[in-house]
Amino acid sequence: MTFEFALAVATRTVLAFSPLERLLQDDNQLSSPLTSYSRLQEGVYLFRHGIDPYAGGTFRHSPLSLSFFSTIVPASRIPPALLWTSLDAVGAWALVNIWRSRSNIQRSKRDLRIAAIYLLNPYIFLPCLALSTSTVETTLQLLTLMFASRGQSSLSLLTLAVLSHLSLPAILLLLPVLLLLLSDPLSHLASPKPFPQKLSKCVPLLVEFTVSFVTLALASTLVAGGWGWMRNTWGAGFLLPDLTPNPGLWWYFFTEMFDHFRPFFLAAFSLHLAIYVVPLCIKFQHDPLYASFLLLGILGTFKPYPTLSDPGLFLSFISLFPETYPYLRYPVVTALLHLHAFLLLPLFHHLWIGTGTGNANFFYASTLVFGLANGSALLDYVWAGLRVAIGEEKEGWVVTQE
Amino acid sequence: MRWSILFFFLSWRFSVTAAVEEYREELTLRPLVDGKLAAHFSFSTLLRSAVPRDPSSLGTDDTSQHYTLFPLALGQILREHAIPEFHLTINSGKWDYDRWGHPGEPGVGSGAELWAWMGDGTAVQTSIDARWKALQNSLSGLFCASLGSMDALHTTSPANAFLPTGDLPRLLAPARDAYTLRHATLPAERVCTENLTPFLKLLPCPSRAGIAALLEPHRIFDADWHGLGVHVRWRADRGVQLTLTVQVVLDSVRTSTERRRDWTLESLFGRSLPRSCNVASSSVVLVTLPSDESAYTLSPEPHVSIEGTWSRTSDLNIVMKWPEEERFSYPLNIPPLSDLSVRRTLKGSSQTHGELSVVVRNNRPVPVRTHYLETMPWHVEFFLHTLTVTCGDRGVDCASLLTNMTYTPSRPHATPAQLLATLELPPHETLHLSLRVRKAFLRYTEHPPDAQRGWDLPPAVFVPFDAPHRRIYTPALLVDLATPDFSMPYNVIIMSSTLIALIFGSLFNMLIRRFVVIEVDVKVD
Amino acid sequence: MSGRSRAVVRWSPWAGLQDKFTMSSSGIPLIGLVDRIRRRIRQLRPSGDIAARIRKRKKVAAAVGKYLDVLRLGLLATGCLWLLALPLSHLQSGTYIDENALQPSQVNTYWDWGDVHRADKFLQDVTSLLDRNLSSAERAVFFATEFAKSGIPSSTQRYSIPTARGVLNGTNAYAIFSAPRTSGTEAVVISASWKSLTGGYNLRGVSTVLSLATFMKHYSHWSKDIIFVISDSHLDGMHAWLSAYHTPTNPNQDVGPLSIASGVIWTALNIDYPGHSFSHLGVFREGLNGRLPNQDLINSFRVISQHTGGVPVLLYDHYEPSEFPGREQIRSFFPTWLPDWIREHEDVMEYGYRAKNILRHFVYQAKGRASGAHGLFHQYRIDAITLFAVPSNGPHGFHALGRTVESTLRTMNNLLERLHASFFFYIITTPSSFLKIGSYLPSVVLVAASLMFGGLGEWVKAGWVEVKDEYMPSEKEKVANATPNSPKKKWIARRRDLLDAFMVVVTSHLAGLSIFVVICGEWLDTTRLAYIITPMCWVTLVLFRFTLRPPPASANAAPLPVLLKAINMCLASTLISVTSVLNFSLAALLAITLGVPLSFSAPSRSLPVCVTKCAVYAVLAFGWLALSGEVTQAIWDWQVLGVWFAPLVCLIYVPFVLQAGVVSGLAP
Repeated sequence: MTFEFALAVATRTVLAFSPLERLLQDDNQLSSPLTSYSRLQEGVYLFRHGIDPYAGGTFRHSPLSLSFFSTIVPASRIPPALLWTSLDAVGAWALVNIWRSRSNIQRSKRDLRIAAIYLLNPYIFLPCLALSTSTVETTLQLLTLMFASRGQSSLSLLTLAVLSHLSLPAILLLLPVLLLLLSDPLSHLASPKPFPQKLSKCVPLLVEFTVSFVTLALASTLVAGGWGWMRNTWGAGFLLPDLTPNPGLWWYFFTEMFDHFRPFFLAAFSLHLAIYVVPLCIKFQHDPLYASFLLLGILGTFKPYPTLSDPGLFLSFISLFPETYPYLRYPVVTALLHLHAFLLLPLFHHLWIGTGTGNANFFYASTLVFGLANGSALLDYVWAGLRVAIGEEKEGWVVTQE
Repeated sequence: MRWSILFFFLSWRFSVTAAVEEYREELTLRPLVDGKLAAHFSFSTLLRSAVPRDPSSLGTDDTSQHYTLFPLALGQILREHAIPEFHLTINSGKWDYDRWGHPGEPGVGSGAELWAWMGDGTAVQTSIDARWKALQNSLSGLFCASLGSMDALHTTSPANAFLPTGDLPRLLAPARDAYTLRHATLPAERVCTENLTPFLKLLPCPSRAGIAALLEPHRIFDADWHGLGVHVRWRADRGVQLTLTVQVVLDSVRTSTERRRDWTLESLFGRSLPRSCNVASSSVVLVTLPSDESAYTLSPEPHVSIEGTWSRTSDLNIVMKWPEEERFSYPLNIPPLSDLSVRRTLKGSSQTHGELSVVVRNNRPVPVRTHYLETMPWHVEFFLHTLTVTCGDRGVDCASLLTNMTYTPSRPHATPAQLLATLELPPHETLHLSLRVRKAFLRYTEHPPDAQRGWDLPPAVFVPFDAPHRRIYTPALLVDLATPDFSMPYNVIIMSSTLIALIFGSLFNMLIRRFVVIEVDVKVD
Repeated sequence: MSGRSRAVVRWSPWAGLQDKFTMSSSGIPLIGLVDRIRRRIRQLRPSGDIAARIRKRKKVAAAVGKYLDVLRLGLLATGCLWLLALPLSHLQSGTYIDENALQPSQVNTYWDWGDVHRADKFLQDVTSLLDRNLSSAERAVFFATEFAKSGIPSSTQRYSIPTARGVLNGTNAYAIFSAPRTSGTEAVVISASWKSLTGGYNLRGVSTVLSLATFMKHYSHWSKDIIFVISDSHLDGMHAWLSAYHTPTNPNQDVGPLSIASGVIWTALNIDYPGHSFSHLGVFREGLNGRLPNQDLINSFRVISQHTGGVPVLLYDHYEPSEFPGREQIRSFFPTWLPDWIREHEDVMEYGYRAKNILRHFVYQAKGRASGAHGLFHQYRIDAITLFAVPSNGPHGFHALGRTVESTLRTMNNLLERLHASFFFYIITTPSSFLKIGSYLPSVVLVAASLMFGGLGEWVKAGWVEVKDEYMPSEKEKVANATPNSPKKKWIARRRDLLDAFMVVVTSHLAGLSIFVVICGEWLDTTRLAYIITPMCWVTLVLFRFTLRPPPASANAAPLPVLLKAINMCLASTLISVTSVLNFSLAALLAITLGVPLSFSAPSRSLPVCVTKCAVYAVLAFGWLALSGEVTQAIWDWQVLGVWFAPLVCLIYVPFVLQAGVVSGLAP
């Protein structure tokens, strides 16, 4: 297992040094304004030259990454490539560990397949080649869930705090992570039962999270020398100042939005993102890991500034829930939708931006297909996760919802 | 060359007792190497011993204004907003520094440019920006130009590059920064008759007598390059000085049928100079003689002596001929006439990214230090970390030649970016600056009606340290921004919302509905 | 007998749960609300018809499954027929000018016989250049000097582009006339390449450009800078100039920098005048990778050429059937065994004429090849066409050409915005009629749909197998539900193990990649390569039958061929439908070359059938290598201009055919 794992990582490293990186770096599918590496470099440059990077609209990364990349990582080409590849490797390792603690075994033949599915998933490794910081967020998400499923509460809460500091929407994962910390990661889909613990137990954990989150915010205020960074980083998720195209559903909606309706719809979209948390956690209270998996799907579909790696994380999580496969209703349709979207997104982007023969609607249509693909995957897994509990169908009988 | 400039006097008066107001007019004609001819009209009115209004007195009533020569409309604007110095230029065309040399009046950037120095103070009620806005509106009303659109999206304050050309009066209640500069450009603004007519109205002798009579719109606006300028400055020793300028570059080779570069005032402006303007204390026509060796004749004989009061009665029609050449033959290689040759291009055809490349060549045998000013609207973002400075064609890195850089990043939908740096140019050296830029995506309401044309970017400005008033403007640029479909708002709202509602609805549908097991294949008989 | 027609077993894993929550709803009070909503829904829809609904759904699914093959073949046939029907004039609509600013042929032109005379003088000089066979650098210097003499800043640019067949060296000459009173932010290009697209020298085209430069300098009504480019060779010179004007993309191509520059180029006219006089002006429009210019450009040129220049316009150099040479051309276009009364028939003639135009267009576009030097502009969002002066013995010359070009430039000069109004996706069938995207796209999409249905059908077939049911119902149940059709069959699910199939897919694509590398290197002649590889491939495919045996007696695991075919068809369908928007001709080519073979790939029990099938697929996969001329050209296009055709054939077409071959090679 370790050997193949090393092999997969090695191939990824080779890819990281291929000329692809130059082509992909500014691709709008792979890096959003909040995660683009060239913007990060710009911010570091301005920071080094004593210009407040948050005065302008170019730099939207957290002050923490600013201080990190201005001190530790040199600007040359090799170190970032290595760093990003190792981040992906860590991510894969974390995913494998989540699988182990869910299936409650040390090692299995499945480990390698899971790691490979993660490392060779184009949605995951293309952003990594483009040095998009969404890779960092993906890895942090995986680590959070790994620590949570191992029961290491403080570690996982700290990671979650860092993660939601870097990208605010990830804070939606807080509730399922708390439930996960209070219960176990084992699969209870087949035998749903009410949540074993008292909910009051999660109060200290909540406090712990809040403390670390606030500490991070204060630290970054110290780094940035003011509160201005909040408008540029967290505010961007609510106000959408930068309408650069991405695979998500927000950008064209607010490009075409009438000015006097903009605030209303911004509020509606932001709230809509939060609606799903509680219902999913109630319905899947017997299996919080599955709930958080579904929430990742929600985030990947409805985030303000998504990149391909957000749905990619959701899709790679699928490999952790083999018990649901028999109950999927239309996996092949979902796969084909994703295939189409994956081909259409870059092609139509090129038609619009590059050759100028197609207009914005082409790319918009492809983002709709992409949204549909993500949605169908999400719905299918919600169904399967519920359906597992009923068990096999008898001959001539059908399980359905009334 | 001994006689490089010849004088033709229409009138000349020595007024021993200096009048309160003094009006001088002057026309400089300069044959250019490529057969064209540069004409520079300058009408200057001096308001002796007048002091600009102090901004702290803005709240109170102003002293009444009585002028005989100074245009009242302009005087009111100056007093109303307490403007000690402002410069407005509206030009059409691309000034070719290499072939035409430096212009008589430095402000030749294409489009409209307005910059004003305004006093600020603790006791000033109306803010600088309010007065700046008001100045724009009143000027655009006065000259029928759409200067009103110089909003915050275009306004910057590059104080080092645009130093005051006159003096600034000491303020009664000075603030920390006593005087501040406001500067804005509209590269797409064109100049035409509707600007010239009100312009002429400001002159004491509008188009009847004197040099202004030559400003015949058909000829002026058929020129290869033309521009209007309004310049107000205050000199402590003299007073408020208003200078109205018209600059024209005429192509007599193009207009003549047999392709000669001979010109007369008639052939250039459609009329000869009639009688002089009586109120003008001096009106002079200057002809700069060509530096090349080609033989030419000039008639009538110029006056080169300045003696006593003198006035001309008959019409003046200056004629300059090159009798030897039967048709003008263009010189094949023209050594650049300006101190710096600048080329600025926006490369790349993608609508998301581009590369701004600036090539500066020092044509002088001595090193030149110059300010380099870039002003960018917010929808073109600089990636400063990609800035490279190389020397010569070999591409040697010489980033050390670009020093003390100050940069104000742009804020989306709000303010432009401003980059000001100092360039050290070794003798006869060429510098290549290259910078990656990102093109923003705009809301559909922010696009202009002709969205598919693109956006005009303001020119970059080079200000040499040794000659701060010989600014060099690069040509404007056009940037393509990706456009959304302007007919789509409702469709997009409908379709996106449908998708979201579909996912939302079916997800909650699944969550709240109960599972049932049903026997289906029962044969009903 | 008990009339109990439906037995509903209702239970929910949540029963206990809800009670717990509704009782001690301290934890989450939402459940109560959820329950209420649920009850409301139940009232809305009595659950009785759920079973009926499911039965209906099953019936429909069964019907679709039964008629799937009919559906597939129907779609396939319709798609192919539609492709054949494209030349019919009923599908087509007349061209019109969409952008109001253009106002074609609304100006009176100033190009007169004096300018024609100057052009003739230039022609003498250029011809003497050719006779003294000067180097391209000296030629370029001459052109630059001529531009400078007419007072237009000019310069030269040298380039060297490495290819597998040695290095291309050359020098371009160009001049930029900055229009009066403009800030020089927009520009229009008039270009002529030294070599004509016929292969001859473009002497008259070059002299036209030189003379136009002198001519235009004398007028002040230009609102855009005009760039004159005389590019070396045929395509590579223009490629070098364009990539230097915009950012050079290919690092190992050494293109010299441009010493003078202007603004954004919107439109370009490329003049190609190989003969000594011409009778018609032909329009060439196809650009690299199938990109087309905005249709307004072509339409306005047609109007101008007919009204201002008085020259009839052709597509390419295809004469219309109304003219004598046209009849001959079209007669020869049809196979000779057709009886004359068919070939001479007017409608057949018309069909043949349009079919000929469409076919030429398809060949250019599918290969992604530029039909002239104009085709290189398109990738930079510049709309460009080539005016081809069709060589003949008259009657037209510099006069008509000059007037047409001048008037066309005046039209471009009117533009306030980039050309965006009219169509970018179209097929021009005659100079005055064209096919809208809606009327030609469905043909290919139908083929793709049939492939998709086939793939899905295979997928279902892989997942389910119908077996006889051994279990005999007991008496009571027989009475309970007396079914006429017993012993009844039943469907049992099978495991779909995709790993092997994916391995095959990946291997085939790797094979395609290796072929691509080989032919790019040009180590050995591709014809010989074809003779080597095709039999090898054939043998390998047949050998698979014996090597890649599925695990025996796996009734509950899907066989490899079925899965492989499912994946293969789904992938192919996706690719065709995606390509159809980008480059229709290419999609049509793929639809024909993939649609039919992939639909008929199937494992067969008899060895000979399998062997023959494998042979067919081997030939399909690698037979094209024998056309070494085409292959070399495609490789040149890829290496110099970055045309995607060659990699696409190797990385997409070959692997798919190989997969189909494996499917038919394997044992069922």
